[in-house]
Amino acid sequence: MPSLPSLRGPRAPPLPLLLLCLLAPVRRSSEDGRTPAASFTSLPVREEMMAKYSNLSLESHNISLTEHSNMPVEKNITLERPSNIELTCQFMTSGDLNSVNVTWKKGDELLENNYLINATGSILYTQYMFTIVNSEQMGSYSCFFEEKKEQRGTFNFKVPELHEKKKPLITYVGDSVVLMCKCQDCFPLNWTWYRSNGSVQVPVGVPMNNKYVINGKNANETRLKIMQLSEEDQGSYWCHAIFQLGESEEHIELVVLSYWVPLKAFLGIAVEVVLLVAIILLFEMYTQKKKKHSDDGKEFEQIEQLKSDDSNGIENNAPRHRKNESVGQ
Amino acid sequence: MPPPAGSPPLHPPPDGGWGWVVVGAAFISIGFSYAFPKAVTVFFKEIQLIFNTTYSEIAWISSTMLAVMYAGGPISSVLVNKYGSRPVVMVGGLLCCLGMVTASFSTSVVELYITMGFICGLGLAFNLQPALTILGKYFYKKRPMASGLAMAGSPVFLSTLAPFNQYLFNTYGWKGSFLILGGLLLNSCVAGSLMRPVGPKLTTKKSKSKVGVRVTDSGMKKRHRKKSICAKIDKYLDFSLFKHRGFLIYLSGNVIMFLGFFAPIIFLAPYAKDKGIDEYSAAFLLSVMAFVDMFARPTVGFIANSKLIRPRIQYFFSFAILFNGVCHLLCPLAEDYTSLVIYAVFFGLGFGSVSSILFESLMDLVGAQRFSSAVGLVTVVECCPVLLGPPLAGKLVDETGQYKYMYVACGAIVVLASVWLLIGNAINYRLLAKEKLKETTKKIHTPESQEAESLKASKSHDVSVKSQKSKGSGVNPSERETNI
Repeated sequence: MPSLPSLRGPRAPPLPLLLLCLLAPVRRSSEDGRTPAASFTSLPVREEMMAKYSNLSLESHNISLTEHSNMPVEKNITLERPSNIELTCQFMTSGDLNSVNVTWKKGDELLENNYLINATGSILYTQYMFTIVNSEQMGSYSCFFEEKKEQRGTFNFKVPELHEKKKPLITYVGDSVVLMCKCQDCFPLNWTWYRSNGSVQVPVGVPMNNKYVINGKNANETRLKIMQLSEEDQGSYWCHAIFQLGESEEHIELVVLSYWVPLKAFLGIAVEVVLLVAIILLFEMYTQKKKKHSDDGKEFEQIEQLKSDDSNGIENNAPRHRKNESVGQ
Repeated sequence: MPPPAGSPPLHPPPDGGWGWVVVGAAFISIGFSYAFPKAVTVFFKEIQLIFNTTYSEIAWISSTMLAVMYAGGPISSVLVNKYGSRPVVMVGGLLCCLGMVTASFSTSVVELYITMGFICGLGLAFNLQPALTILGKYFYKKRPMASGLAMAGSPVFLSTLAPFNQYLFNTYGWKGSFLILGGLLLNSCVAGSLMRPVGPKLTTKKSKSKVGVRVTDSGMKKRHRKKSICAKIDKYLDFSLFKHRGFLIYLSGNVIMFLGFFAPIIFLAPYAKDKGIDEYSAAFLLSVMAFVDMFARPTVGFIANSKLIRPRIQYFFSFAILFNGVCHLLCPLAEDYTSLVIYAVFFGLGFGSVSSILFESLMDLVGAQRFSSAVGLVTVVECCPVLLGPPLAGKLVDETGQYKYMYVACGAIVVLASVWLLIGNAINYRLLAKEKLKETTKKIHTPESQEAESLKASKSHDVSVKSQKSKGSGVNPSERETNI
């Protein structure tokens, strides 16, 4: 996480550091053989630059290295708008600090000025201050501490990245679809859309017509609406977020299917259902017919039993009536 | 007079044979009914973007589907009482298919509410009630077992439909997925075709009922015609259930329980994420719960079927609900992922056991004949707490800012419901035992009194003969009914 940019005025370097600044170039020049005049020109240049860009925010980042670090240490920094940058590397060693060779590089290019060196105790600090205003100034800045082994710390400056790769969007012929690109915490200056056939990217939606409509609710999102889809619209689409300091892009895959594709599956299932229902009902009719033939005999028996029960009932009542009548009489 | 609730139904249920095929068919129907509204939520995030609405508007689709499924209960019951289970389930399958196919062509959220929510929900209602009813017609001795097996359809279908829906979406997009899901729902027609009506004795019952209908019709014509509509509805939907003590206890207990029953599941994943657990592990908790649920339901059905538990199944039901409530009350003690997994396991056990005996206990209270009407009335009343529970719980979470108060509240509600059901059913069992004792003593006395009446009436000639004849004809058919 980059440090919060704060709007501070130009900061005069603290007094001890100032003295050391004067000393350090002297020390270095004794090693590299450079004239001390360069150290004096560095200060006014820096102050001038800082006055010019005083309304920009300040980003401070640091990296710690030791003599035993095995791998180069890297720090990724996301930068959206022009800022003043302050990079600090600190190097801890048990050996002699004076024998350490300190350099700064942008990529592979050696940086000449604007960096300070300070030593307290057993820690060696070096600080590089500069400003980033355009995309050429973005990239990787490294500090090198050369003792017996070379130790390296790298600051990677990048524009904010958009979302990770999304799943392909599946649509159908004749539909309309909305492709959306969103940046979580950043606010690009502008958005553009391209589609690619192979490696070439062709802009899309620039003449806004019936087919393409570009709009976005907020500054951090953009939507491309494509209407009347056809199979030719299938392919890769790219949205570019344009910042002052560069561009980042996101890839969306659009797939256009015809209705026949899911319809086949639906009809397949429907046929299976109809077949199963028919089989089940026919099987039931068949077993019922069989049962009816065997049961016909049983039913007749049951009906006859019921009839006999009824007649028995009447017969049973009749003796009672006769009995009572005889008693009554 | 309706037959006593605890006894077997009029035509003896097969308790096996084709009945197990019917259990499979009910498995499919119940699986679709309960799992589909939940499984369809997989599509919501993408649909929300396409239709340009908020997530809560889209979530209403699922709520509408569930609401219509529960509210359509009485309609379903009336149709089942008139036509039997099979045609209703097949019509339900066709309705679901129609709903999903038209949903794939919809262009606005309102159209989705109508097609997916209403039509599909109605179709699912036509699947659920008949499936439960036909279990009561096919089983008596092994009914809890059959019920548990059939209810296991819900977690099985949910755990298969959810990833399947995701696959469908990745391959066909939402339109194609809805079309194919419509086709899939047609399979409930297959389930319906397996639900054969029970036994050849249906014809004799029909003739008896026809006679009864003619008699009542002639009676209606003599009385007011306005009452005929109400009477017709009453013929198909047994409103006298609202005077049935056991039914009222069950209904009231369930209404209290459902207020706090579903919210813990819905908020389990967000609760886990709130504790700092990542998305996939939180989703895994739900899978664990569904997995345990899948096996708990038939197992608990088997236990409920045992000789020890079956006569006291209402106590067992109350105990299962209590177990659930205690689980929720102890949930806030779970701090890390392992303890949450243990909670999910116990929750799955509790949820499965309650779901397994949920409808079995209703069948036990009202009997298989009146079950069709009972389940319709129960679901339409339960509609309210089922729909109100989760939003209320959500509001509690929003107000207090913590999930644990919601879990404690849900646990308390569920424990209250279990205590209510326990006390209510204890009283009910005692009163039922007293009534049974009264009936057996009555049966011993009535033949003696009939003979005494006939002896007294025999003093005069013609009048006595006529009166005896009328009494004789009046006594014998009713005796036959009770004997059968």
